[in-house]
Amino acid sequence: MDFLHMIEETAFATWVRESPSIWSFPVILLVHTLGMALVVGVSAGIDICILGMAPAMRLAPLEKFLPVFWAAFWINAITGTMLLVADASMKLTNPDFYVKMSFIVLSLINLSMLRKQVFRDPQIESGKFSSKARFLAWSSLFCWLVVIASGRLLAYVGNSSSYK
Amino acid sequence: MNLAHIHLLLNHFPTIGFGIGLALLLVSFFSRSEDLKRASLVILFLIAVIAIPTYLTGAAALDKICERVSGEIKCPPELSLTLIQEHEDWALLAFSIMEITGFVAWVGLWQMRRTSRLGTWNATAVLLLAIITFGVMSVAANEGGNIRHPEIQSAEDIAAAKAADRVPVARAIGSYVISKTWLWPACETLHFVGLCLLFITVLFVNLRMLGLAKSLSFPAVYQLLPLGMLGFGINLLTGMMFFLASPQQYVNNVEFHRKIILVLLAGINVLYFMLFDKAWGVRAGDNAPISSKLAAAMSLVLWVGILYYGEMLPFLGNSF
Repeated sequence: MDFLHMIEETAFATWVRESPSIWSFPVILLVHTLGMALVVGVSAGIDICILGMAPAMRLAPLEKFLPVFWAAFWINAITGTMLLVADASMKLTNPDFYVKMSFIVLSLINLSMLRKQVFRDPQIESGKFSSKARFLAWSSLFCWLVVIASGRLLAYVGNSSSYK
Repeated sequence: MNLAHIHLLLNHFPTIGFGIGLALLLVSFFSRSEDLKRASLVILFLIAVIAIPTYLTGAAALDKICERVSGEIKCPPELSLTLIQEHEDWALLAFSIMEITGFVAWVGLWQMRRTSRLGTWNATAVLLLAIITFGVMSVAANEGGNIRHPEIQSAEDIAAAKAADRVPVARAIGSYVISKTWLWPACETLHFVGLCLLFITVLFVNLRMLGLAKSLSFPAVYQLLPLGMLGFGINLLTGMMFFLASPQQYVNNVEFHRKIILVLLAGINVLYFMLFDKAWGVRAGDNAPISSKLAAAMSLVLWVGILYYGEMLPFLGNSF
């Protein structure tokens, strides 16, 4: 526990948490939310297309959106770490935080399986996907839903912190 | 000038605008003119967008004429709180149906783009919904007039309003959201899910127009639009829950006013891709014309701006 408090007491963590400047907590949280919109937007968009919601949309060109996904993912890893150190003793003792982290890992594994299953498939242009690909699309949507919900609920459940 | 002025300015649009839209729609059925049909759907959609600030500024107008004393609303003696809340409840009902009508009208426009004519089920649904909305909206408008216009009040109206010992619906929904501790977080979570759905569409459509993944044609990516509208619908609904639960923290919050102005502009932006042929001619491999690129860039700026003002509500403004 002492270690977590030590992290919280560092100058940087204190600045994130307590600075009245808009550039500390508010902007970090804003960038984190925008990053979420891009990460989930790209990944869930690909899932939606695999599930046939936009039948005229060919899937192969969607791989071009993956750099947007990865850029936003790393931005969120960084801003997420900033938000974490500011509130380490609360977040790291909150089971909800571990639910969120686990489902982020699951989402990433899901995406890499989906890439093997769909984007490396020579049949990709046919627009017909195996039931395994469709299952992975559904499970990806589910995992992101859990990530969003557990992330949002961090402000409300467990050792509730004053930061929403 | 304050928000009450804006309410007085805007509050004629929903009734008159829906009347015009409805009349044009009826004429278009008889004249079998697809153009007229499209024009009436555009009007119904735009009026549904304008109805958002019309409803929201109503709460600001209430705050101008009455005072909130520890949760209770106290009005000056010449005004009847019962009449005001009667107006508020009818307005909430009219607003809700109007948003559904605007959504179905938009689906009609989307369908006309793809198949060049309006489906019968959609035309019928829009017509029925528009008639109901117009009726309810007229009652709401009349109730609103009653608040300050003794010359149109009938003795029965006042007696009925005084005798009506009922719980105002808008207030009841608001207190319910506050009383259930799980409901606000649940709405917050859904608001974020809606945001992500909306951004699926915003990202794929606009980044394609700006040149990413050019091998997709515009009509193909545009198939994602209903998903974005669904996301917006979820966020309008959950956003209304926040507003009804705690109107005062939004009414007096400049960031919220800016957010709603951007929502209005985004509503107009959506129509660009729906109405102008230039964007629709963009085939697989084509570079989008400069006007479409501008509209796409504008759309990205607007939605990121809406997210920005939403996120900043507690920090720059006074929300929690």
